Parts: sequence; structure tokens; C-alpha cells
Amino acid sequence: MSGRVRTRIDRGTGEIVAYSDAAVRNNMAVIEYCRTSMAALSGATAGMLGLTGLYGFLFFFLAGLVLWVMLLLKAGSKWQQYFVSRKSLLTSGLFSGLFTYILCWTFLYGMVHVY
Amino acid sequence: MAELLLDSDIRIWVFLPIVLITFLCGIVRHYVSVLISTQKKVDLQQVQDSQAMIRSRMLRENGKYIPKQSFLMRRHFFNNEESGYLKTARRPAAPQPMTDPNMMVEMLKGQLTNVVPMIAIGGWINWTFSGFVTTKVPFPLTLRFKPMLQRGIELVSLDASWVSSASWYFLNVFGLRSIYTLVLGENNAADQARIMEEQMSGAAMNMPQDPKAAFKAEWEALEIADHKWSLKDVETDVLQKAELELPIDIQSYANTA
Amino acid sequence: MYYLSSRRQIEAKMATLDLDWEEVRDTLRTWREDNTRHSEEVVDMWYYCLRHYKHKLGDERWMVEEQVVIAGLDCNRLDVAEPCLVSLNEQFPGSLRIRKLKGMRLEALERFDEAMDVYDGIIRQDETNSSVRKRKVAVLKGQGRYADAIKELTEYLKKFMSDTEGWQELCDLYLKEGDYSKAAFCMEELILSNPHYHLFYTKYAEIKYTQGGLENYELARSYFCQAAKLNPGNLRALYGLYLSCSQVASSPKCTTQKKKETLRLEAWALKEITEKYSKCRDVDGSKIVETFRSLSVTDKA
Repeated sequence: MSGRVRTRIDRGTGEIVAYSDAAVRNNMAVIEYCRTSMAALSGATAGMLGLTGLYGFLFFFLAGLVLWVMLLLKAGSKWQQYFVSRKSLLTSGLFSGLFTYILCWTFLYGMVHVY
Repeated sequence: MAELLLDSDIRIWVFLPIVLITFLCGIVRHYVSVLISTQKKVDLQQVQDSQAMIRSRMLRENGKYIPKQSFLMRRHFFNNEESGYLKTARRPAAPQPMTDPNMMVEMLKGQLTNVVPMIAIGGWINWTFSGFVTTKVPFPLTLRFKPMLQRGIELVSLDASWVSSASWYFLNVFGLRSIYTLVLGENNAADQARIMEEQMSGAAMNMPQDPKAAFKAEWEALEIADHKWSLKDVETDVLQKAELELPIDIQSYANTA
Repeated sequence: MYYLSSRRQIEAKMATLDLDWEEVRDTLRTWREDNTRHSEEVVDMWYYCLRHYKHKLGDERWMVEEQVVIAGLDCNRLDVAEPCLVSLNEQFPGSLRIRKLKGMRLEALERFDEAMDVYDGIIRQDETNSSVRKRKVAVLKGQGRYADAIKELTEYLKKFMSDTEGWQELCDLYLKEGDYSKAAFCMEELILSNPHYHLFYTKYAEIKYTQGGLENYELARSYFCQAAKLNPGNLRALYGLYLSCSQVASSPKCTTQKKKETLRLEAWALKEITEKYSKCRDVDGSKIVETFRSLSVTDKA
């Protein structure tokens, strides 16, 4: 993929790392897609299981963690080829997914357990 | 806390329809906004300005990779007192959004597709499904949330985690946003070739409203940019790295040559 | 007659290959997105396969047809390009994008003046259409009027000054005209736009080396070195490094300290080249290195 190449200084080694801006942005968009799907699916699961209160939120963070681990497994040892940092892979967009999660959770919970 | 028992007809005739209506309206709104949005016209001057800004920024960022002479030459082109690009540019001041009819229309269109349907459908739902307790959020909430989640129901004794129909609609509006990107996202990037072609003129979109101020800032930044040739030590660098791996036997090389 | 029969053979062959049209469509799509042309393949894929499925393509059909028109014009297969152009024209009458394609067809027919008129008309309607402006340069280049092409392209670059493709083309045009210092300027512009791409450095160094003079040789040495550092497999840069080093070292103005350093660099470059060639199985590396040495001896003499 073409596009502008950007550089940044690696904090650990102080070396200059070059990366393609467009490619990284594309990867982030794909991750965002995964994250939203994950939030919707895990929300639906939590709703059907009838999780309430703190358990539901714990389930959300658990799902986020599982997704992160799965992404890392998929990227393998060459994760540096695809992402700028591993930590931001976990944290970025975690809270934008929370709204979707709560919606799906409430929806399915209402459908199954309230009535 | 006594459990409420809701009629399951509410589920079929209130709870589900609200979800469906919000979702479908979002999709319709997306396509309508695609339909009525006009191609933004950019004039040549704007394109030229934004391209000059990009070039000047690249010079600042990557100028260290070209020889000093070349760097100074380019900076002179942008910054010299008499004829420098950033110095002599006389651009009309930024148009006021309110006086420019085109911009008014654009803004109106944005309002039309975003805010108006939300209010209209919200009002309609409030009117049609008013007074229903639709569902319960599966986590406890403090009393502060009562006015937010129980709009339209004024019951003091009702637990805060019950949601009224109007509030359920607003929950849907906010929660479904990322779902839309999931559903509609793929269609958006359909025409790659056109994006490629528009990349050049598209850069003009990022141009700040007031070119004069932007030019001034860029001029300042470029003026203080220092040229430190990064290729100065590349030879010794390469040699050092090579020697770490395997010392070069210059003597034997000289003998054979 | 012979032509026909051979075509039939090919067609039969393609049929036995049994290309899946969905696969073909996806291939074309990747090429479109990567902005690579693959003209001959595109024409073949269209002609032997996708042509029969165009109704299944949906809205993508128009983009595929645009791609095919360009590919067909590239390969002088007007029989392929024209039907697509006709159907595009029916679908989008008055579209500037189609008008550009029509201009390109006129170019392919070598009716350059008419093509020029078409392009001028488009620019009058849409001032910011950069691709059409570039086509005008291409027309001039196609006619061999390099000086005019340069003039047109510099005018274009005054407006669209961060267009790297334009700078690249201008560099080549200047090289054709033998104007090395201006070509070097263009290469500098490219280096600015993407300072991590080794081939830009190599080309810049080559231009500097061609210009000659101790200062330029030293510059060339640095840039070859940078290219070799960015991509250790860039043999052209290594060879250039070797040559520029020997030029610098042989210069009478070079100080002893500098000379020693340069000789070491030269030795390193030669060692790298030797290693690279010794890894090749098909080529006899030692012979190439021998040739190399003799080259440098005559250089120094």
C-alpha cells in the first residue's frame, strides 16, 4: 500500500522507525471493525446469559482482553509490522465500544429476562 | 424491591419497534445525506495554497535529508522577503460562513440530515409510545439517572434502572452509531479510483479557513527550521556497523587490487 | 486467417483454464486499488472472461470498464477499449472522467491536437483536475516535444507542488534533455516527500555522480551509502558506492585522512558485492568481481 511514510522515535531503543501512515490507518480501521463486532456480540451474550451489575462490566473487559490476545496471536511475533504499539491496541476505542455493549446487553436482557 | 412484571405485548409493540425504527432511520439518513450532498468545488488558488503548505511542511520535516544548499534554496523560495511564496501571498480574508450562501446551504444540509430527523422521530416516538416502561438496564443506577432514563414517567417509587420508551429511543440513537459504521462502512470506500484522483484536490479540504494566518505560522516555523544534514555520518556509520560484524582487512584488499 | 485460428486456440485454452469470474474481478479490484496497471493481463482477463459476466458486476462494472479502456489503449487494443468506452459514455453522458478517456483514445490514435482540445475543454470546466493536466504533458511527451512537455509540467508543478508523480516525471524529462542539475532538484523534491525510499537516494546519487566533480562525487558517495544502508540488498547502490569511492579517492584534492576512509568504504562495498554474487548459483560471481576490479583500475589510470 502506498501513502505517506511517517517516522517516530522508538521510546525503548531511541531508534527511528519508519511506517506507512496509510497502512497503519487501514489496520486501525480493521481493528475498530473487530472491536465494534466484539462489543455487539459480547453484549448480546451477556444479555442472554442474564448477567447483571458488575458481572456484566467484568464480562465486557474480559471480552476486550480476549480480543486483544486473539489479535496478538493473529499478528504473531511480527506485530511490529502491523501496529505501532501493542498497548494502544488494547486501550484505544475500548470505551467507544462500551456504549454499543451496553445497548446490546440491555436489549437482549430486556428481551429475555424482563418480560 | 418488588419486581415489576411487564406485559409481553409491550415487547412486541413498543420495545422492538423502537429499535427497528431507529436503526432503519439511521440507514435511510445515511443514504439521504449521500444523495443530497454536493461535490465541493475547490478553486485553483486554494489547491495551490494547500499544496504549498504541504511542501513547506515536508521541507521542514525532511529537509535534513537533502544537502544544505538545496535546503536553503527551497527555503528562500518560500521565505525570502521580496518574492517568497509565503511572504507575498495576498489572499482574501476568510469568508464569513453566514455571508457565503454556498456555505449556508451546506450547513443547512448537514442540519437537515442529522438533527432534524432525530428530533422529529424522537418527538413522534414520544407521542406514539408515551408512558410505557419498556425495559430495565441490567445494572443498578443511582437516583440521578432517573430523569435521564425515565423521561415521560413521573413515578417517584420506581427503581432508577427501569427505562421509559423515550429514553430507550435515545439510548438507541447513541448506541447504534458504531453499529452503523459496521453496516455501512464497507460501502463508503467503494470507489477507490476516484479517491485516488481526488487526493490531490482533496488536500485542499484540510486547508484552514484563513490562509493568511496559516501562511504566517508556516513562515515562522520554516524560518526557525535548522538544517542538520543527517547523511553527514552515514559513511562512518555504515563502516562501523560493518566492522562490528567483520573487520575489513584493508591491507589484503590493497594487495589484491 | 492464421490470426483467427490462433486466437481461437487461446480462447480454448482460457476456457480450459476455467477462470472463475469472481476471482478475476477481485484481481482487477486489487490492481485498481494498488494503482498498478498490468495492462496486458487486464485486457486478456476482460476479453476472455469478464466480458461475458459484465451484467453480474453491478456498479463495479463501470470501474472495471474504465480500467479496461485504459488497459486497452495501453496495448493498442482498440477493439477492446472502444466497446467499453461506448457503454460508459451511454451510462454517464457528459462526465468529465469519460471525456478524459475519450481524449486518451484520441491520443492512442495519434490525433494529438484533438486530444489536446478535449483536455483543454475539461480544464476549462474543472480547473483543479490534476490528472487531465498531467495527460497534457503526456501528449507532448508522446509527440517527442520534450522541451514543451517540460514547460507544461513546470507550469503544472507550480500549482500542484506536492505531486510526487509530477516531480518524478519532470526528473526523467530533464534527464532526457541532459539537464542534470535540474533533474537533481526534482530528485531532492522526491527525497523530501519520502525520505525512507532507497531508490530515490540511488537515483539522486547517480545524477550527482554523472555531474562529476569532487564535490558531487562526495555527495554521490554519501547518498549511495544511505541507499545501501536503507536497503542492504540494493546492488546498484553498492556498485555506485564503489565507483564514487574510487573517484573520490583518485582525486588529487583528497586529503590522506579522507582517502583512507574512502578506501575502507570502497573495500566494504566491494566485499558486499562479492558476497552477494557468490550467493548466486547461476552466475559465476568471481568473474564479475574480476571485471569489476579491472574496471576500477582503468578508472584510476
